Amino acid sequence: MDVRLPHPPPDPARIAKLALDAAVLVHQSGGDTARTTATLDRAARALGAGRVDAIVSSLSLGVTVSVDGRQETALRRAPHMGVNFRVLSGVSRAVNALEAGRVGANGFATLLDDLESYPHYYPAWLVAVFVGFACGAFAALFHGDLMAVAVTSVGAALGMRVRQLLAQRHFKPFVFAPAAAFVATLVVGLLKSLTGTPEAALAASVLFLIPGVPLINGAADLLSGSYLNALVRLTMGAVFVVGLALGMSVALRIVA
Amino acid sequence: MSSWLISLWAAPAALGFALLFNAPPRALWAAAVLAVIGRLLRDVLMHTGIDITLGTLLAALAIGGLAELWARRARLAAPVFAISAAIPMVPGVSMYEAVHALMKLSGLAAGQSGEAYLVDAGSSIVRAAMILLALTIGIAMPSLLMRKR
Repeated sequence: MDVRLPHPPPDPARIAKLALDAAVLVHQSGGDTARTTATLDRAARALGAGRVDAIVSSLSLGVTVSVDGRQETALRRAPHMGVNFRVLSGVSRAVNALEAGRVGANGFATLLDDLESYPHYYPAWLVAVFVGFACGAFAALFHGDLMAVAVTSVGAALGMRVRQLLAQRHFKPFVFAPAAAFVATLVVGLLKSLTGTPEAALAASVLFLIPGVPLINGAADLLSGSYLNALVRLTMGAVFVVGLALGMSVALRIVA
Repeated sequence: MSSWLISLWAAPAALGFALLFNAPPRALWAAAVLAVIGRLLRDVLMHTGIDITLGTLLAALAIGGLAELWARRARLAAPVFAISAAIPMVPGVSMYEAVHALMKLSGLAAGQSGEAYLVDAGSSIVRAAMILLALTIGIAMPSLLMRKR
């Protein structure tokens, strides 16, 4: 006859797994180091851990969870990926629900699975069109005329499409950044006689490649004391910018 | 176009990047509004004689703080608003001028003096880097200050 405890003690291996699942989602969709660490810590404690030791490096996450003298250590590889604010917000809400007791461990696991399986609100072509128009708006912010806005929108949308297609095929940033910058600059350069402000159009055409999230998270990590992760993020940003400048300068030699 | 009306272009600029970052649909208009507020605030500050670096820092701090408050009300993560709204203050022209000057410099024949290009490139790079630094620190600071409480 088996004796059932009224409250079976939580299993540290399962706690570590679920906390890592949540933290990997945050880490790979644009959370800074402080947010990833807090997610690991809060999720593990809400699931019943007594002591949590988390490590967040730029390429992998690890956690040691202790419950009633039992201990489990787990590591997970988690290279940086694109930015996905839907996932970031979703994990934040799931952890809040877990802490408030609105969901249990199983409900939490289901919420995380859902976030992983439906990650995108907008179709890729729509994103390319709007990102193109955003760069057109940049041309206006740089005091360009309305034709500069139109020309930049077309060039940047095409460049963005190239970036999406290459990124889907898992090319590294140093391949797709120069290629996308080249296409955008070339298109805008070929159409520049239509506008009275070609400089504004050319400057705005590659801004969809600015690594805003790595730069801002890098600064956040510097300020919160995660110096090594900050350097990795800022280096990623610099690689992007160098690739962008490379593609742009090759195109400018052809059209300017 | 009047220089104040130009700031309204910050809204579509932020919107495009919010889509790129897969921000939830109900966060889109907030990101666009914050972007216009930040850009207008920087224009007003620069109008009173403050330089672009300090103006960017103050405007970015305002965006970061407002984004943090808005994120709590809307139950979304703060970077969703803050990062999209910061994008329209990226110093694209300075960055372009730097690349352009460096290209001119590298294309010089032997013996020609490239001092003017070197000065152009150097000052553009420094200006762009300072503005970017002000922007990133300004956006990151409020969430770090407010998260502890």
